[in-house]
Amino acid sequence: MAIVAKPSRFSKYGRPTVAWVVGLLFFFPIFWMVLTSFKTDADAVKPEHLIWFTPTLENYLNMTENYDYWRFAKNSVITAVFATAFTLVVGIPCAYAMAFNPSKATKDVLMWMLSTKMLPAAAVLYPMTFLTKSAGLFDTHFLIILVLSLINLPIAIWMLFTYFKEIPKDIIEAGQMDGVSTMGEIKEILIPLAWGGIAATALLVFIFCWNEAYWTVRLTTTDAATLSKLIEGNRAPEGLFFGRLSAVSAAAVGPIVVLGWFCQKQLVQGLTFGAVK
Amino acid sequence: MSDRKLPRLLQSPAVLLLLVWMLIPLGMTLYFSFIRYVLNSLRRPEWTSPSLSNWRGFGNYEFVLKSKDFLFAIQNSLFIVCSILILTVILGVLIAVLINKTFPGQGIVRVLLISPFFVMPAVNAVLWINMILDPVLGLQGIAIGSINDLIDGLRAAPGVGWFFSLWPELEPISFRATQTSAYAVIIMVTWQWTPFAVLIFMTSLQSEDQQQKEAAVLDGASPWSQFRFLTLPHLARPIAIVVMIQAIFHLSLYAEIEIVSRGTGNKNLPYLIGEFANNNIGAASATGIFAVILANIVAFFLLRMIGKTLME
Repeated sequence: MAIVAKPSRFSKYGRPTVAWVVGLLFFFPIFWMVLTSFKTDADAVKPEHLIWFTPTLENYLNMTENYDYWRFAKNSVITAVFATAFTLVVGIPCAYAMAFNPSKATKDVLMWMLSTKMLPAAAVLYPMTFLTKSAGLFDTHFLIILVLSLINLPIAIWMLFTYFKEIPKDIIEAGQMDGVSTMGEIKEILIPLAWGGIAATALLVFIFCWNEAYWTVRLTTTDAATLSKLIEGNRAPEGLFFGRLSAVSAAAVGPIVVLGWFCQKQLVQGLTFGAVK
Repeated sequence: MSDRKLPRLLQSPAVLLLLVWMLIPLGMTLYFSFIRYVLNSLRRPEWTSPSLSNWRGFGNYEFVLKSKDFLFAIQNSLFIVCSILILTVILGVLIAVLINKTFPGQGIVRVLLISPFFVMPAVNAVLWINMILDPVLGLQGIAIGSINDLIDGLRAAPGVGWFFSLWPELEPISFRATQTSAYAVIIMVTWQWTPFAVLIFMTSLQSEDQQQKEAAVLDGASPWSQFRFLTLPHLARPIAIVVMIQAIFHLSLYAEIEIVSRGTGNKNLPYLIGEFANNNIGAASATGIFAVILANIVAFFLLRMIGKTLME
């Protein structure tokens, strides 16, 4: 390198210090929630036990008793897993067709799909309640899986499309020469080649499904209620249950936060539809 | 056997599903917005089932426009969205530039920073409004309480007592109150989405032209003008994308508003629709159509702005 700029004192000590402070500040609320989850409900609101307290696991051990945590967690897992799977089953063929057999309308269709995301959910709240109640689907796993798939389908198709576009067309066309059927092409050529992109899409869709808090709250009562509904139902503990509420909250977000750490890069590509690399 | 037609057909399940998902409920909303339709009415039981004979024309729209909450809900929706956008973009650019250079523990700082983005909105709201912002039992209350205790102690102290006896007693802010609940929502959503902005800006900064930067340094450009004339223009596109994606998400904020104050003093359009939908479906539907129009206006400008870059 031609020039070696003398590192200023700021870039040597100041920058890392400020960066660490900012990082810790942003993480602090999560840290605080986890810390509070190890306090008894009584200790959690006592200033003298703010930092020094006798840690206890009782909030975690009593999660079933206090909140019926596992029933809601089971619903969250079932709906998020099946919704992710269904989104991929519908999304992969669609993105495949768009990437390798585009028509003039493909771009418009993609833009239209994105625009369905901008439709405010609240605008169709009553019709959805009405339709699902009259079809007997209200508060069922099937309904929540379907709705979660539909709201994530546009983003999934966009993501898959951007990944598929990067695969050289020749490889797919070589398969066509050899007389492989379209379904065979998807199964034997496309999916193995785009495995990383598909996994990233699945991960992101799963996170969105897990965190969704409009339809899962409004279209369920008990049977299909997810963790969002559980937390929303305990919104105002008035200081009585800070300990146990922190524990159940930490248990609700813990798995997803850890999962999120592993897919930061894919998140950027996915959420910006490949426009930022 | 050739099955060249099949590939195009493969799009149809997704397209059909989205079409049905969009058109049927939206069509019903449109229909309900033109009729008198309430869930409970002892006086006019015929209004409790949707029927063309209850046609009301634009009456529901008029009713909504005249209701006292409607204009406030639009103003409040835009206030919340714009505040969050300004805060997240400014903080996002600053933090991204700050942590873009290598330093010890950069990876850990990144992980710490991105974590809030994965916290589910319901937990985010419950955590902030109770454990942190509560004026008595939250960290805010505890912090202000202990500062007041400290000042009380200093009042009795010899030498400085005369000074602190005129010191004001600090009042904690209640974030569940009328106007402050909007601030609480802005704080918690900004906390959640700044990491997203940071992540995208950082990814973009890594593709910044380093040679250009070195040339600028050689020419004696100050760090500020490097930032102003090289970094900021480079970030224009990611900023546009961050603005668009967040606008989509935040125009339909709901869980946070519900949890913070059940909408007291802090209704946005989705919340107002939910309230009307408790009984007056006609009004809820008309408000829904207004929300669709608002979202379309925003989407139109945003897609115009960045639609092309997405397609490249």
